[in-house]
Amino acid sequence: MPVTDMPDFARDLLEEFETRSTVRVNTPVIQPAEPFLDMAGEDLRRRIFLTESETGASLCLRPEFTIPVCLRHIETATGTPTRYSYLGEVFRQRREGSHEFYQAGIEDLGESDTAAADARAIGDAMGILGRLLPERTLALTLGDQAVFEAVVRALGLPLGWQKRLIHAFGDIAHLEALLDRLARPQPVTGLDPRIATLLASGEEDELVARIDRTMQETGYSTNASRSPLEIARRLKDKLALAETRLDGGALLLLREFLTLRLPLADASSALAGFADAAGLDLDPALARFDARLAALTESGLDLSGMTYRAAFGRPLDYYTGLVFEVTETGSSAVLAGGGRFDRLLTLLGAKDRIPAVGFALWLDRIEQARDQE
Amino acid sequence: MTITIALPSKGRIKDDTAAVFDRAGLAISAVGNDRSYRGRIDGIEGVEVAYLSASEIARELAAGAVDFGVTGEDLVREGMAEVDAKVDFCARLGFGQADVVVAVPEIWLDVETMEDLGDVAADFRTRHGRRLAIATKYWRLTQQFFSRQHGIQLYRIVESLGATEGAPAAGQADIIVDITSTGSTLKANHLKVLSDGVILKSEACLVRARKPEHDRDPRIGRIIQAVQGAVV
Repeated sequence: MPVTDMPDFARDLLEEFETRSTVRVNTPVIQPAEPFLDMAGEDLRRRIFLTESETGASLCLRPEFTIPVCLRHIETATGTPTRYSYLGEVFRQRREGSHEFYQAGIEDLGESDTAAADARAIGDAMGILGRLLPERTLALTLGDQAVFEAVVRALGLPLGWQKRLIHAFGDIAHLEALLDRLARPQPVTGLDPRIATLLASGEEDELVARIDRTMQETGYSTNASRSPLEIARRLKDKLALAETRLDGGALLLLREFLTLRLPLADASSALAGFADAAGLDLDPALARFDARLAALTESGLDLSGMTYRAAFGRPLDYYTGLVFEVTETGSSAVLAGGGRFDRLLTLLGAKDRIPAVGFALWLDRIEQARDQE
Repeated sequence: MTITIALPSKGRIKDDTAAVFDRAGLAISAVGNDRSYRGRIDGIEGVEVAYLSASEIARELAAGAVDFGVTGEDLVREGMAEVDAKVDFCARLGFGQADVVVAVPEIWLDVETMEDLGDVAADFRTRHGRRLAIATKYWRLTQQFFSRQHGIQLYRIVESLGATEGAPAAGQADIIVDITSTGSTLKANHLKVLSDGVILKSEACLVRARKPEHDRDPRIGRIIQAVQGAVV
């Protein structure tokens, strides 16, 4: 790719990455497709450029940097906290805009002081955008997966329901549908009476043996996919979950929580007030929220353009805490998006849990914003 | 302008299509000999018939290379993005009925609905070290149904080009998305359709590729009306 193709502010960016003491990495443009599809789901398939190697391995053009940077970290530097920076082209099928565009960002892998690392990621994103778009007012929206999870847990729902709600966080339509179900439970019908009897009398062993027998008779392997025990256990859970009703008060609380949207500077006291009024113990999550906020204030960042939105999350199972995005005030074009993904590296094969936070800058949108005016 | 109508080139669907066109008063005569792959409509000037396979017809419609096609709705919807902007389903022809469905092993006693499947998919990686695997040839329909309608993201598609219903027992996949007309193949393979797992009720349709020049051409409306009149 000719250098002239890079956005004209690329040099400023690289300078920023260096001042912010990051290690610049590059990753091959051609990547194995598996990790991307495995982490982000099949929906991604329509949006990436796939090809096959001669041996039939599925390859794609790099659709983003986080996964390749994490894989590289696992291979080379597990155990050593490192802040990586990257700048390069990514390739995605989009209805509008070019299929190839530049992205840059920072991934902070392995730092155990999560509050400080979160604050630094936000500070870096805001600082860099401030330099690239001087004199513009930026707006930051912040969400926290861990706070939502704490609220759901504190409501005392069965584990299965907690999982469903947590899994749907960030997908408001899906979440609303689940809340409706919780308000109007529908008992399971149509269950084979013999199975129902076994369940009612708690004869799990007999039920498992029965499932096992049927699988063998019908030619299904009992270990290639879901096992008889897994099926029996979930059937039991399902019957319990179907009868679960969240009382009106608790539903109201959950809905009230999801509508919270306020200046970040006021979020700590508002969340504490919500927990108090609701009689919910949200403590470890709120303590971490407060610590992050304290670290942000300490770093001298101006909080006035920052908003906390309780329902803001990403429905992917590796996000664990902070999520944020930055736009120009009054615009919907996301210039930077980031978050904490403490589960990603283990999902990608790391043996130990490696805390991770990072953000990506959308250079094409930043360029457009610079061109306006 | 020549109008091209792509019709199925073989099998039952070919005969059923010919019968509908006959009833519609659009008699087709072969160009050249009887086994020719081209024909014309008697009585309407400049209308050509091209005989193609059902999946080719869907592809030609997507490319706008033909004006009309008769083929299964499933193939058309699977074959292109933003399908309703690109083509117009003019008439459902009353044959070639089949449903595209989500089917799981019968022995999954705890899975009757898409919501159950969502629970299983969400936990699958933790339990099995891999995502839930779906065997199908319907990539697009599966993605739309799972992600957009049911918020299920975490699964993997295993491409299946034939005998999809055998994939779960063979250990190639956990569940399937496939087409079924009577359900007997599913049953023979000990699979069951989820209660809300019908993705599409498909049948043979007369499909028009949306083209601006159609607006001013009276022959277009004439063909559509004739076929619609023959299937009510």
